[in-house]
Amino acid sequence: MTDVAFDVVVVGAGRAGVAAAYRLAAEGIDVALVERAKQPGMKNVTGGVLYGSILADLVPEFPDGAPLERHVVEHNIKLLHGDAEVSIGYRDLELRDEPNYTLMLGKFDRWFVERAVEQGVAFLSETSVRDVTQEPDGVVVHTDRQNGDIECQAVVGADGVNTTVGRKTGIQRTMRNEDMALSVKKVIDVGRNEINQRFNLNSDEGAAYIYTGFPEGAPTIGYFLYTFDEYISVGAVGGLETLSWLGDEGYDESGTPLYSLLERFMELDTVRPYVQGDDIEEYQGILVPEHSYDTLPDRQDRRVALVGDAAGLVLNKGYTFRGLDYGIKSGLVAAEAAIACTDDGNWDKFGQRYDSELEDSYVLRDMKQHRHLPQFLKNERMYGAYPGIATETLRSMYSADTDAAGLTWRQAYRAFRRSDAGVIDLLKDGFRGLRSL
Amino acid sequence: MSVQDDLETISWDVSEDAHITVDNEQCVTCDDKPCLHLCPAQCFDYQEDQKGGIYFAYEPCVECGACMVFCENDSDKGAVSWSKAEGGKGVEFDFG
Repeated sequence: MTDVAFDVVVVGAGRAGVAAAYRLAAEGIDVALVERAKQPGMKNVTGGVLYGSILADLVPEFPDGAPLERHVVEHNIKLLHGDAEVSIGYRDLELRDEPNYTLMLGKFDRWFVERAVEQGVAFLSETSVRDVTQEPDGVVVHTDRQNGDIECQAVVGADGVNTTVGRKTGIQRTMRNEDMALSVKKVIDVGRNEINQRFNLNSDEGAAYIYTGFPEGAPTIGYFLYTFDEYISVGAVGGLETLSWLGDEGYDESGTPLYSLLERFMELDTVRPYVQGDDIEEYQGILVPEHSYDTLPDRQDRRVALVGDAAGLVLNKGYTFRGLDYGIKSGLVAAEAAIACTDDGNWDKFGQRYDSELEDSYVLRDMKQHRHLPQFLKNERMYGAYPGIATETLRSMYSADTDAAGLTWRQAYRAFRRSDAGVIDLLKDGFRGLRSL
Repeated sequence: MSVQDDLETISWDVSEDAHITVDNEQCVTCDDKPCLHLCPAQCFDYQEDQKGGIYFAYEPCVECGACMVFCENDSDKGAVSWSKAEGGKGVEFDFG
């Protein structure tokens, strides 16, 4: 295969794939970007904040020329317990110095692909990859286009959580319920002024909300709410393992659909004022990888490297999701590995180079540091007993009806004694929590 | 508001070829039928007269891939064969 069409083929025009292609083209390397949608972004779904400093280093037009929604200056964590809600809010104008934004992929991904094409990326839309085969001296990407086989030196699989590249090359084995979460989300047209009033925001400022504790004691079930320019998005996320047994709907009353949980969540007294609005613009569903560092799937084989969601590079930190920037960083690391291979011609080392560079990057350092967090977040006490203790303590502090005798710490202790959690549990969970964070 | 109303907010360019197929033979021995509550687009429907009780429609699929994990995942069940929709076909999100 001395006559390759491209040096590198990147499969999938999400942020990870486009970043890889952009970087390679900027270096003068022949790169094709293959995307199955008609337009970039049409198949892409997110429920997160873009922590954008990584992109600002790569693309000069970011953030000022990019189609972004709101500049995130406020984060909220809300613990639900029955009729009560305990929240921690963090608002900081210094966050304005960081390029962290909410974004809509329909607009953003199209813009990002346009920037990559300007750098010299050959963009191929409406093309699904059916197979990827490694030959002794190259790789063939088989697409569903007529005469659609593309020969190249190396492949970057940026084709998302259900990666065809990963599955067809055998890099990825079967995914397990315990490593995957399902998410559904609604985009609601609320209007710019109404958003600013409802969420107490100025002009282009944005807020992010994370909720847990509903239904009480259901591990891994959480909700998120983000403000866009004129829309809000509200979604539910839950581990497939929990969702497969939780609840009393479905066949034989063996589970609850996630969309039902989202409906019920949006009807809660504490939530409804934020999310009300009849103008549902879009409903979406997506799988979210929830591996810990120790259960991350393989991500390379010789001339093929997997990046972003395809490599499971997402971390639910409990108080925020990281994934958009991890994807971009992993795409850039794959590009650097390919640049090294162009220099010395040793393409057989592409996968290994990518892997060891990624190991040294902040993405895997982050995931390694939080390696115990996914297990910690499966602890049902985090979703029942502890929000309950917090609620009981605050209720005894603020309610005129309860016996207010005693000091606050004593009331907290009483609330704790009334809960299902034991002292040993509390100590163990406290230790695990500190260790995970 | 039902999920069927929500699904009406989405557009599809439906392919003539199904990107997901279900082997109903496998559904006969599946007791839990998690597909009926885990698919976020209600592509799986319980119908008495279908083999194993499962009727599957690929047209309203949002291409999340959950069925590949919760069904194919389990070697005892494994009814779902999954691939990505043909280029330019399938679900089309405006917002993402």
